Amino acid sequence: MTLRGPQVDFVCGPGINLPGTESQKKAMPRSFEEVVLPHLDAAFNYARWLTKNDADAEDVVQDAYVRALRFFSSLRDENARAWLFTIVRNTWYGRFPRRTGSAVVSVPDEDAEPRADIGLNPEAQMIQQQTVEQVRRALETLPADFREVLVLRELEGLSYKEIAAIVEIPIGTVMSRLARARERLTGVLVPAN
Amino acid sequence: MECREVDDLLGAYLDGELEPAVSTSVRDHADTCTTCRQRLANLESIGLMVRRAPYYQAPAGLRARVIHGRARSAATPHWLAWAAAAVVVASLTGSIVFVRSARRALDPVDAVAQEVVSSHVRALMGAHLFDVQSTDQHTVKPWFLGKLDFSPPVTDLAQAGYPLTGGRLDYLAGRPVAALVYTRGQHTINVFVWPEASDAVSSSDARVIRGFHVRHWVRQGTSYWAVSDVNDAELEQFVHALQQ
Repeated sequence: MTLRGPQVDFVCGPGINLPGTESQKKAMPRSFEEVVLPHLDAAFNYARWLTKNDADAEDVVQDAYVRALRFFSSLRDENARAWLFTIVRNTWYGRFPRRTGSAVVSVPDEDAEPRADIGLNPEAQMIQQQTVEQVRRALETLPADFREVLVLRELEGLSYKEIAAIVEIPIGTVMSRLARARERLTGVLVPAN
Repeated sequence: MECREVDDLLGAYLDGELEPAVSTSVRDHADTCTTCRQRLANLESIGLMVRRAPYYQAPAGLRARVIHGRARSAATPHWLAWAAAAVVVASLTGSIVFVRSARRALDPVDAVAQEVVSSHVRALMGAHLFDVQSTDQHTVKPWFLGKLDFSPPVTDLAQAGYPLTGGRLDYLAGRPVAALVYTRGQHTINVFVWPEASDAVSSSDARVIRGFHVRHWVRQGTSYWAVSDVNDAELEQFVHALQQ
């Protein structure tokens, strides 16, 4: 296994409560307002990229917060943001279950096709010249499964382990899905000539 | 390591997700292999580009609904929400007409002024004057982040003789508002701030309620209420300093 093991991923700091440790028992109870509310922008951003429109994103986030409040007592560790992302995602796919299925069917994770050769520097230059609007459109053309791992990784800066937990896929799949997503994005932004 | 093997790991390498030994192998390979180095450059530029994508901020309305916990049911169809809104608008319009015809007996601004004074008195009596106690505006302002659906303007007026001493959340005019606390000698000045729907700009409107001086003004989409037992001239001076 070439990826960092979980023992490495968990080395975070004194703020993290490992299950059953003394630090958990001593942890101060914190309010929903302190813990979950500060991640509203992050929740909305993620929902907006999942749903691709403001109205659905607002509905999803609002429902997700209702659920988050209900399940708040089950939040054990410090990673409230990742926990909230999981709820946002489940809310969205719970409402439109077909979306998951179709995305998975149309986008197999296995590296079935040979990769296109993307190793040219002029392409890197072209990529750099994309406007924000072009980037937005390109991301939106990606299948939802690819778009979300890119958003979680690049915009939210989550680790593979955190993404794996939210999207409910193995860490190795996070890696390959990200690779495929980046490759697809290159294809969209730099049309074959 | 061979190119094919390295190629699969380039993304995880850039993401800092490889074990140190593997990461070193990938770097060593890329140092000597032009193709892999170029792929790495391309991947890096993709990452930079994606990070330029829009980061969508939660709209103020959503923030307010979440904070108030007034969650609309997921099952409520949009048309029903609109219908409900229409009924509310209709009833509001009706009540405004009624209020006007009743010779401003229930002027909503007067009602808010009463609330402002009551809140000021409650805060002084009940010792709950501060949720955040600091003379530093850069401490007080961020404290409100995530607690309100707006970011209140917070300025220290120590230079003008009215030092900021802190702030708290309050509930006025049917909504959560920011209460900023200033002092003048032994006197306390409460300033209540919340967004105003209308863009109207009003100059300071003065009144005296139960012995307290009250000033109200609207500026840049924000409604301000200042209340204190300092004398009228000092409150006027304070308001002037705040409006600078």
